[in-house]
Amino acid sequence: MPYTIDIKEAEKLFPDYTFVRPLTPSEQKAAFHVKDKATGTDLCLKMIAPNYERVRLDREIRALQDISHPNVVKLIEYTFSSKPGSQRHYIVEEFVEGQDLTATLIPGEPWTIKAVAEFFSLLCDGLFAMKEKEIVHRDLKPANIRVRPNGSPVIIDFGLARHLSLPDVTLTVAGAAIGTPRYFAPEQFDGTKHDIDHRTDLFAVGILIYEALTGESPFYHSGMTALTQLRQAVCDSTVHLTKASFQARDPKWKILVTRLLEKERAKRPADARQVSAVLKKLGGI
Amino acid sequence: MRRGAWHQCGDRSQKLVREQLQQGAGVGVIISPRDLSRTNSITFAQEYRDLGAEVLLDHQYYIPEFTNRRLDSYPISCFRQGVSSLNKISDQDLTKFKNELRVDNEALKTDAVIAPAVVYEAGRADIEQLNVSLFAAAKGVAEDLKIPIYATVVLGRSVTASDKTLQTALSQATALNCDGWYFGFEFEDERIPSVRETVRRCCVAGLTLACTGKPVLHAYAGPMGLLSFGFGATGVAIGHSQNLWKFTRDRWMPAAPQGGGGDAPARFFSSALWGTIIYPDETSQLSATLRNQVLTHSPFSGPVASNLPWPRWESGKHLVYLLAKQFSTMAAETDPRKNVSAAITVLDNALSLHAAIQASNVFLSDNTNAYQANWKAALEDLLKDNQADFDFYDLLI
Repeated sequence: MPYTIDIKEAEKLFPDYTFVRPLTPSEQKAAFHVKDKATGTDLCLKMIAPNYERVRLDREIRALQDISHPNVVKLIEYTFSSKPGSQRHYIVEEFVEGQDLTATLIPGEPWTIKAVAEFFSLLCDGLFAMKEKEIVHRDLKPANIRVRPNGSPVIIDFGLARHLSLPDVTLTVAGAAIGTPRYFAPEQFDGTKHDIDHRTDLFAVGILIYEALTGESPFYHSGMTALTQLRQAVCDSTVHLTKASFQARDPKWKILVTRLLEKERAKRPADARQVSAVLKKLGGI
Repeated sequence: MRRGAWHQCGDRSQKLVREQLQQGAGVGVIISPRDLSRTNSITFAQEYRDLGAEVLLDHQYYIPEFTNRRLDSYPISCFRQGVSSLNKISDQDLTKFKNELRVDNEALKTDAVIAPAVVYEAGRADIEQLNVSLFAAAKGVAEDLKIPIYATVVLGRSVTASDKTLQTALSQATALNCDGWYFGFEFEDERIPSVRETVRRCCVAGLTLACTGKPVLHAYAGPMGLLSFGFGATGVAIGHSQNLWKFTRDRWMPAAPQGGGGDAPARFFSSALWGTIIYPDETSQLSATLRNQVLTHSPFSGPVASNLPWPRWESGKHLVYLLAKQFSTMAAETDPRKNVSAAITVLDNALSLHAAIQASNVFLSDNTNAYQANWKAALEDLLKDNQADFDFYDLLI
């Protein structure tokens, strides 16, 4: 159930901002497009649900504070204050104009090669900036990628991000299975926390590129009724490599995507910078 | 990391290495503190650099509790403890470890830091975690000194026993954010690795590392370095002594009492045989034609050409020189598939020559023809089974 707050009520709580419109909320955050009254700057204000795990939010903040990159959303402010009877807990981020990738990554509508190369090389540039700070997103999916009006991607929502040099806070989960299963890597189904690294995000990139290139998901299909079916497809199957829509692609693209979707992390590209470089080469950028 | 042959220092090899560099053989040197006191390592490092070589210092934490008199001359040796002790190391001690590592690399003016690491073993998460900690300390040193950091990936036999355990270990090892790989592979106990499946697996491991797009220095390669450029290695480490021809943990175990062997005859390394032949006992049995084919010469083999006594020590220099020259040629070719073909050609020729020798009723000892056919088969397996890896490598270059 998404956490929602009426926009009129929100306006009363944050008089320094002009509220433009509500944005898609998540389970833990009500989000609004706002304008800073003093500067006129467009911003994204996220009000945190009272039951939100503080330690998880701290991690998200830490992750964002460490990164400054055009393809990663910028954190402007984080405030938590608690007085008897009132609590203010919110994040202000850069407002990314445009839409989610869900609007353009549509089943049955493959992109042009050039569009795939341009978009995903930029996305990988953002991922590499995260990798340099030892941050794994762990929930990379179309809903967590904004597309600016100029077409460039911005990675958002670091709620499940993990700083690899810090202890994982998902104490209630023995393994690595948090995130959105449709974009899970094998180690998120079967591995432990120690098996999660930046190449986990690269697997999700592989799924996204596959979808953009072919117009279909490599593993998921609407006939799946149980998570175990998806797990089997991701962890054990190579059927996605034989699908006609994939087979029809240029051999070099197939090499790259096959590599991104390797079950073993050792076989995946070393990092997002490597992927970005290959994409630029393939797209003639 | 320079492409070509690297000298893997061992016991009594420092002057030999200097002589090789003077002859233009080799592009770099890996100094071994097990075999050289700290004071001497600083002196030799300077000499090697003056001769144009890159210099690396391998602190050899493979068996972390091993120590000896020379190792004790390095202050970092106070951290030579078992895995369980090292895993409990405090942040304060880890900082001290890092400082000692920095001081040594600074003193030797190394061209990159080789991160100390314990031999990877299957199912040993504690070793993986320890290697992550040691790597983090070493990376800090490299950043301080503004030089590259090479992660040490030495795969123990429990890892190399199957494709699955190999890939699992590599998935952990390749998570390290390094600038290059210092790669070793533990084989069965034999003079030169000969088991087709294990040799193939070594090549797969090397190719997997090369596919990260980072340079790979194949440590303790020896004559098997013939295969290394085929799996995408950048550098291949060679040494005169047999215990440098493959990674063997015996080097880091307490030494057994020394046996004899002082009067053993010299082994002549023949590029044409890609193996050794005993001089003069076996070479003298060959027909003149075969002898001419077998005796591939170097600046160190003059006495052999004149049938004169040849000190065993010279045979080591000869071996290193010929390996370095062959590897220098292969390093000039950056396409691994072409280097696989080049290695197969060398092995094919060696097999033919061995067959001709046998046909002349001369039977060489030392099992010197025990591995060429299997190496060739391993390379053919690699080409066939790992096309996707080669294809991806092509995309990177």
